[in-house]
Amino acid sequence: MSAPDAAGLDDATRAALAELLLSMADDELVLGYWDSEWTGIAPLLEEDVAFSSLAQDEIGHAQALYELLAGLTGEPADTIAYGREVGGYRQAALLDHARGDWAFSIARRFLYDTADAVRLDALAGSSYAPLAGLVTKMRREERYHLAHMHAWMVRLARGGDEPRRRLAAACELLWPDALTVLAPPTGERRLLDAGVLTGSFAACRQRWLEELAPLFEDLGLPFPFRRVDAGPGQPSPLEPTFPEPGPEGRTEHNDDFRWLWGELTSVYRSEPGATW
Amino acid sequence: MSAGGPGTQAAAGGGPQEHLEVFEVFRQEKEGGPMVHGGNLLAPDGELAAHYARELYGRRQESVRLWVVPRSAIRDVDDPDLLQPPMDRSFKKPVGYSAGIKQKLAQARERAAGPEADGA
Repeated sequence: MSAPDAAGLDDATRAALAELLLSMADDELVLGYWDSEWTGIAPLLEEDVAFSSLAQDEIGHAQALYELLAGLTGEPADTIAYGREVGGYRQAALLDHARGDWAFSIARRFLYDTADAVRLDALAGSSYAPLAGLVTKMRREERYHLAHMHAWMVRLARGGDEPRRRLAAACELLWPDALTVLAPPTGERRLLDAGVLTGSFAACRQRWLEELAPLFEDLGLPFPFRRVDAGPGQPSPLEPTFPEPGPEGRTEHNDDFRWLWGELTSVYRSEPGATW
Repeated sequence: MSAGGPGTQAAAGGGPQEHLEVFEVFRQEKEGGPMVHGGNLLAPDGELAAHYARELYGRRQESVRLWVVPRSAIRDVDDPDLLQPPMDRSFKKPVGYSAGIKQKLAQARERAAGPEADGA
């Protein structure tokens, strides 16, 4: 089964596009589930409603991405979302951590939202029209998510000893896994050649880090990157001061996610194929 | 969210609530329509208040514009001497002019038409 929009793509490029869509959808789904755990226990009632609504938005984005994928593979979106074993999920390692404390949730979301923003920028002009259309809509929502998270990053960083300590610890812990969001996707060369993707993830990562560097410096938060000399006249890219994460960032999942998988698929598994 | 009229202290005593402020939210359902009071919320500052207002009064696309106003910026006027004075004020109501206006209009028409009708 093939969607007419994808008719122009050869099999290998379609497979790469499918893998990219699955990664993005899983990122949004898993983040949405973790963040929805704040419903009822967020620091104040208004934030509770707002954060829960943001979590719902992410699950909405995941749904739209699974629908696109369903158009490519012919498999129903619900089956893709909930019908896989743990090992079939492709979210980045950043999204594998359990909710943690409030500072942890904010730090994770901020790192994810900012990385996702540059990824969406590289897809807004995609030659795969259904994806370009969806990304344009998603970007409008993500702008507000990002502004909301930015507001919290600043408040926690400047909010006295404990909030600051907790936020810094979360950033320190999350940075290596944050890089997995923009690890080059499988078949990236083909996606670039076909114009499905309009910029490499390596370039996205540089833009993302360049954007974050002044903020992290301003807030005095951990930013474990250094500039490396790329030769005379060349801009010096930012490289991590820790070992580069391996390629298993989206394929190997931890116990936190195994627990969440049990939760988020429990209804689906109780009656596979049920319609609502 | 907080109940109570303007002037109610948002937060008393210790705890996180003492850093919060009440914001009143007005919403417009469609372009050109009136701004209608939607309710209020508690937030640490205007920036987060705007985010909360969006989620509380706009997440279902029910608003095209919000005004988020710190309650402290509202001048509360409810003095009965100003608003409900004891003296007769009926002459200030438009109805004071319209009462009997039909009758007066009919009389005026009669006066105006009278001599001309005779002469025709």
